[in-house]
Amino acid sequence: MPIYEQTYRRHQARASLRRVRFWPITREALRLILARRLFLVLLFVACIPFLARVIQIYVVTRFPEAGRILPVDGRLFGEFLLQQWLWMLVITIFGGAGLIANDLRTGAILVYLSRPLTRRDYVLGKLGVLMLLNLSVTFVPGLLLYLIALALAPDQFLKWDLAWIGPAIVLQSAVMSLVMSLVGLAVSSLSRSARVAGIGFFAVVAGLEVARGILYAMYRRPETALISVRASLQALATALFGLSERAVSLPWFYPAGLLAVVALGCLLVLRSRVRAVEIVQ
Amino acid sequence: MDEAPLVEFKDLVVSYGAVPALAGVSGAIFPGPTGLLGPNGAGKTTLLKTLLGFLEPDRGTLTAFGLDPTKQSLEVRRRIGYMPEVDCHLPGMTAAAFVAFAGELSGLPRDEAISRAHEVLYYVGLGEARYRTVDTYSTGMKQRAKLAQALVHDPDLLLLDEPTNGLDPSGREEMLALIRGISERRQMSLILCSHLLRDVEQVCENVLVFNLGRVAAAGRIADLTGPRRAVYDVRVKGDPAAFLTDLKDQGCEWREGEDGYRVFLGDGAGPELIFRMARESGVQVRFLRPGAETLEDVFLRALGHETQA
Repeated sequence: MPIYEQTYRRHQARASLRRVRFWPITREALRLILARRLFLVLLFVACIPFLARVIQIYVVTRFPEAGRILPVDGRLFGEFLLQQWLWMLVITIFGGAGLIANDLRTGAILVYLSRPLTRRDYVLGKLGVLMLLNLSVTFVPGLLLYLIALALAPDQFLKWDLAWIGPAIVLQSAVMSLVMSLVGLAVSSLSRSARVAGIGFFAVVAGLEVARGILYAMYRRPETALISVRASLQALATALFGLSERAVSLPWFYPAGLLAVVALGCLLVLRSRVRAVEIVQ
Repeated sequence: MDEAPLVEFKDLVVSYGAVPALAGVSGAIFPGPTGLLGPNGAGKTTLLKTLLGFLEPDRGTLTAFGLDPTKQSLEVRRRIGYMPEVDCHLPGMTAAAFVAFAGELSGLPRDEAISRAHEVLYYVGLGEARYRTVDTYSTGMKQRAKLAQALVHDPDLLLLDEPTNGLDPSGREEMLALIRGISERRQMSLILCSHLLRDVEQVCENVLVFNLGRVAAAGRIADLTGPRRAVYDVRVKGDPAAFLTDLKDQGCEWREGEDGYRVFLGDGAGPELIFRMARESGVQVRFLRPGAETLEDVFLRALGHETQA
């Protein structure tokens, strides 16, 4: 006779409902994504531009004349964040395309939604995954870069009139991460295949950017930026960091408005797609 | 039934867009194992989904544990374990991680969810395979993993939607034994939704028969199938048409069985009536066996295509 039987027994202690219910969803999805070695390599490669910028700051502080070729000022942070957009694109494709699509394919959506979770909890949990990944290649290195710049060149950056850099980095990273994450999730919810969702996401983002390029070549008007998510993010960075990008030079509220509309549209898509029961009218 | 019902629904109408799935059904589900029986599309799964708050009723009321699943869905779901009909697993996750995760989603603290996951996986017979990813499981193992994730938080009510789908005969027997064990030894109430009479008969005490979005019959299986009418399985030699017509004239009902006829006698009638009718219509009775009404009889009668009366 066994001295201990490992079996099912009734469990009387029922915990009260958690306030933050989305966190286990975020944590488990992140664990699965980060278990892929290729993804870790991708995150590492995404740090290379950061290292290049650190070297740039270091070189300019040691050899000030190099600043004429590689200027080190507030614009550097805006340019860095825009460079990181490419990595956000890749991370969203490889890390985010399957987040909802896989759940729809394997029926796991029912595992979530038959629990004491709302659809909002589910979306927040999945959004958290992409937000954390995207912020890890924008906000974290951006802020770290600023701190390094403050440490290496305090006489250049430790000034009141440059105090906007920190908040601008936070705002730009947050907007970039949020919009890209929402678009990635919305596209993921439209398919049951992670591959199709990944291709779809790339087609939407890259396709609109190509269309913007064509329209800009034809009309030479910065308003063309408003048809592309990438160009709108660029326009926002141009306004926030004072970049000299004539092609997307617009008052900040134009791209901000467009990005808000995109985010709202994505939320509506998610609202209609994230359901335990699919109703075909 | 003296106990208060776990689930109660009155005049419940639920539609998928313009297609009605439940057309004004009323009924109650009491503690213990209850079967929802009916052909595909009868409305069984729709009732479960409404119970979970996935669908909103167009009309009528539904309460579970005295709560409204539409307005208090989180409270209701916390007390329910759901094993869906369709395949459901998280790709790349081991069974242990999957079930623990399901427990955590139900509100268990992480450590407790992990410990419960191991217990439950042992209970459903996946103890040795719990560190394998669910993607690599056979259909039977996936069904067991689905049952484990529904049990992990120790629900008050277990909803099982076609739990024996895709299982071979021995797998089916094992799954039914597991479910029976949960109900009998663990005192857990459950709703078994199936189109297979044998599954419901083996596990449940009560049954609700659904047909075309309505409750066609409801009650204890023992009461529904009890000796209300004398039933005989009869095989005859000769032309049975006149024999069957004569039986009908005597107030009996019959339906074709697997090998012969199932005859439902009228009140107070005995087997001598069958012999008399056979003699009068010129057929030989080659086989006569007394029987009881089965769940299949109840089911077919409820569906309206049972007997010739």
